[in-house]
Formats: sequence, C-alpha cells, structure tokens
Amino acid sequence: MGKTIDIIKKTRGVPDSVKENMKAFNKIKRQILKSLETEEKTVPQIAQEIDLPLDVVTYHLMTLQKYGNIEAGEVDDMDEFYFYKLKK
Amino acid sequence: MSKSEEYDVLVIGAGISGEEAALNLANQGYKILIVEKDLSVGGKMIHLSKVFPTLDCSACITTPKVSETARHPNITIYTYSEVSNIDKKSKYDFRALLTKHPRYVIEEACTGCQLCEEACPVTVQDQYQYDLVGRKAVYVPFSIANPRVAAIDIENCSLCGACEKVCPADCIDFTQEEEEIQIKVKSVVIATGFKLFDPTLIPRYGFGVFKNVVTAMQMERQLVPTRPYNNVLRPKDGKVPDNIAYVLCAGSRDETVGNPICSQVCCMYSIKQAQLLMGALPMADVTIYYLHIRSFGKGFNEFYQQSKDMGVTFIKGKIGKIEEIEEGNLKLRYEDIESGVVKEANHDMVVLSTGILANDGISSMFKDKLELDPFNYVMQKDILANPAQANIGGVYVAGTASGPMDIPDSILSAGAASAEIAGYLKEGEDHEK
Ligand SMILES: Cc1cc2nc3c(=O)[nH]c(=O)nc-3n(C[C@H](O)[C@H](O)[C@H](O)COP(=O)(O)OP(=O)(O)OC[C@H]3O[C@@H](n4cnc5c(N)ncnc54)[C@H](O)[C@@H]3O)c2cc1C
Ligand code: SF4
Ligand code: SF4
Repeated sequence: MGKTIDIIKKTRGVPDSVKENMKAFNKIKRQILKSLETEEKTVPQIAQEIDLPLDVVTYHLMTLQKYGNIEAGEVDDMDEFYFYKLKK
Repeated sequence: MSKSEEYDVLVIGAGISGEEAALNLANQGYKILIVEKDLSVGGKMIHLSKVFPTLDCSACITTPKVSETARHPNITIYTYSEVSNIDKKSKYDFRALLTKHPRYVIEEACTGCQLCEEACPVTVQDQYQYDLVGRKAVYVPFSIANPRVAAIDIENCSLCGACEKVCPADCIDFTQEEEEIQIKVKSVVIATGFKLFDPTLIPRYGFGVFKNVVTAMQMERQLVPTRPYNNVLRPKDGKVPDNIAYVLCAGSRDETVGNPICSQVCCMYSIKQAQLLMGALPMADVTIYYLHIRSFGKGFNEFYQQSKDMGVTFIKGKIGKIEEIEEGNLKLRYEDIESGVVKEANHDMVVLSTGILANDGISSMFKDKLELDPFNYVMQKDILANPAQANIGGVYVAGTASGPMDIPDSILSAGAASAEIAGYLKEGEDHEK
C-alpha cells in the first residue's frame, strides 16, 4: 500500500492542542531521562531537580516505565519511595 | 448502497453479560451478532483484579470466555461499532443500522506487534489505566484486548506518518471511513452494562484536585499484574501508601447527586481491595468508612468477617470533607455515626468507592419507546415471570443494563435472557412449520 497519511492530510489538520501536548510530553521526557543519566532517583528527587510538580513527574515517569525507557530499582530505607533508573 | 446482514439475535454490548447471553444462544445453533462500542470485548470485568468473594483472578476467568465468544462459529462481533434506528417491523423482524467506526488499522492484518506504538511521538492519558499513565495516539488498547490489534486515536494524532512507515504488516490505513451496515434480526438483547459515577460531582471529596484521592477503578488497576505503576503507589508522588482509607457510597444512596439507590457491589469490592492491599502492602493500615455494609450474597458475610480478622478497620462514619494536608496526606472529617461526634482522621491515600449508574443513550437506539425504570435502567416489564423481557416484544435485557449487580448475578441474568429468547425464537420456528 502507498502512504495513506498523505491522503488524510489533504482533508484533516492537526489541532494546536495536539502539537502543544506533544511538545510538552517530549520536553518532560527529555528532562527526566537526563536527570536519570547520572544516578538512579526517586520521584521527589527528580521533581526537585527539574522543578516540576510531583504528580506531573509521577505521571510521566510511570509512562516512560511503561514504554520501557526506565525501570524501577530498590525502595529507599524508609520503604517509601522507589528509585528509578534508565533501562539499559 | 450499504451492506446488509441477517442474524437471529443482536446482542448490544460485549461485557460478561453480553458474552454469556451470546454464547448460550450460539451453542443452541442461533446466529448471533454482537455489537460492542469499545475497541475490545470484555466490558469492565476484563479490567478488574480479582473477584469477590473467591478472589479468583478476574482476567483468568474472563479471557477464556472472551476467546470462546470471539472464536464461536455462530458469533460475529463488530467492535468499535454502534447500532441505531432499531425498528421493529413485525414480530421476529427488527431492522437496525450498524455503524463501524474507522480504526485506521486493517484489523485482519495487524499482528499486535506494537512497533507503531514505539514510533508514535504522541502521548495522551490511557483510558484503560483510568488516566494513571499515558498511551500513544496509535495503540493496542491493553495486553489482553480482543481483538488484540492497534487503533489510531485520530483526534490526538499529529499525522506524522511514523506508524505507517514502521508497520511491518502494512496495515495502517488512513483512508478508512465510517462504514454502515443494514442489519436484520429476530430478537435483540440489551447488555450495555453501566457507567461509573463521576466523583468530581462531589467537590468536597477533592477528586481531581488532590491527586492521592483515587477511584476504586483506579485502585483495581493498581492491583492487577498489568498495573500502571511498579507497585501500589500514590499518584501524587509515587510513595508507597501505608494508611489507606475507603469512602463507601461515593455517589450512591445520595439524593443530592441524583442517585438514591445502592450500587450493590461497592461494599464488597472495597472489602476485596482491602484484603488485596494487605497482601500487596503488608505494613499498610486500611480503614473503611461506611454507612451500612451490605454483604448479602453467598459467602459475602464470611468474606467481610475475614477482612476484619486480617486487620481491616471499619468505621461507621459519614464523610463530610476531605482536605489535603502536608506531603499530600489527606484529612478526613467525618461524623462518627455510633457516637454522633464529628471526628478527623489522617490518611495518606483515599479510595472513593464510586457507585454505578445506568448508561445513557440506550432508549434512543430504538424507534419504538423503550421504557426505562426511574433510575434509567431498562425496565423489566414482568420481573417475576419474565425478568429479561423489556417493554418491546422481542427485546430483552441482560446484566447491569437492568440495574446494579455483581458478576455472578450478571451471568444469571444473561442466562435468563438467553432462555427467554430461545423460547421466543422456538415459538416462531414452531409457528413457521
Ligand atoms: C471497581 C469495581 C470493582 C468490581 N469488582 C467486582 C468483583 O470483584 N466481583 C464481582 O462480582 N463484581 C465486581 N464488580 C461489578 C462488575 O464489574 C459488574 O457486575 C460486571 O462488569 C457487569 O457486566 P455487564 O456485562 O453487565 O456490564 P459491563 O461490564 O459494563 O459491559 C457492558 C459492555 O457494553 C458496552 N456498551 C455500552 N453501551 C454500548 C452501546 N451503546 N453499544 C455497544 N456497546 C455498548 C460497553 O462498552 C461494555 O463493553 C466491580 C465493579 C467495579 C466498578
Ligand atoms: S498496526 Fe502494524 S505496527 Fe502497529 S501493532 Fe499492528 S502490525 Fe504492529
Ligand atoms: S501518524 Fe498519528 S498515530 Fe501514527 S505515529 Fe504519527 S502521531 Fe502516532
């Protein structure tokens, strides 16, 4: 089959909200992955480093875990927060 | 000219009730058409963790039934489809219009390899994980979906074409359009199930604002092996919770939110989740705030007692307000019903046991007036003699489309519907002879 994407593009546009959401996700993804390059970290540690709300970091981190970019390691000494690391 | 197809029975909805009714009738030789509006069959049950009171794994029970339904030679399934204009021309002659929405993926060719997902740059909230994580704009709905094939969420697609480039089976097809099929059947089963109460309608519970207030369905997802996180964690900060509260009757038995009736399953699924949480998080305290515990079914009271023996705390209390305090913890203000005193308690996660409601838009599928009960469930015309019969002759109801009920009762209700339909169809056959 030829490329059908070119056909739909003739009749459909891409809403700004889709473009903005894509940009935002990819920006946070880069920030989280960069933050984990040096060592494994917990959600609060990453949030503090990249200066984003905790719940935003949790959502994106868990999504990256689902996509196979990162994985969970051990839980901290207080059994409260897991450390997350880049998946090799 | 649109296509036309003919079957004995149209089953609307492919949850456990629709599957059960379809299988019973298909096994008697009737030709069945199942129309499911979602991308996969399985209804709510396919997303549950374990089931009360036996604690059997929900997916393990439901997936064989899903496969049996999907493979049955007498059953045809259209997913991501809807029916409208159901018109009774005469006895044993219903006409309807089926609309099949485009997936932009050739179903028969997709292998479910998920390479398209890897390539897709768009992430939006995953509705099958109840928004706890993201998914791509092209996605296989969930790991045990049936059919396990991809679909494109065109509203969120950036039209980058990456999926089409990488698909090894060449099955991305952006030229797909809505397809209409004219249907002729002798009988109809409504098995459209229920919808969940929207907890933002009770702002004092803080759902959506306080991230550590979650719904019971979100907790179900956290308790399954295909969970959104690596363990049961707080959505706010990924902390392992150790003091979890359940608020029962959230949106049930409450005139102020327009749902005065009991949802029948929330007490028991909360007790089930409490037991599962004690297994998943052995150090956690679980407290259930309730108005009454309705443990009326077979083995239910023993299950309730078992949770007390395991250490679950039960407080007869009416929750006034939930507030967020330091570190994302939550303060519950409640009236202790036994003493009449207003008390406060702190927890680090709150689960709202949200009620179940009738689905919208069921009667508008029919040209004749389909009668509903005062709570918008399908009216059972003669609940004692023919419990599955709706007010339109030849139209039957199965499972939670007729009212809140659990899985065993949904299966029994679907059994009743299939028995009544078999009798109805047999009468027609005898008449023809
Ligand atoms: C959090 C939670 C936990 C639960 N735990 C348990 C438990 O442990 N044990 C237990 O016994 N019960 C439990 N239940 C109850 C259980 O989920 C229901 O009893 C069961 O799912 C009812 O099945 P159903 O087929 O009637 O409805 P549903 O599961 O709602 O299925 C209905 C199907 O119809 C489809 N549909 C809807 N409208 C249309 C339309 N217009 N056209 C085409 N298709 C349509 C839907 O997409 C869906 O696939 C729980 C419920 C909740 C909310
Ligand atoms: S659409 Fe193509 S790439 Fe995506 S899951 Fe199906 S076969 Fe794989
Ligand atoms: S075309 Fe759409 S669905 Fe396909 S990869 Fe691009 S954004 Fe994702």
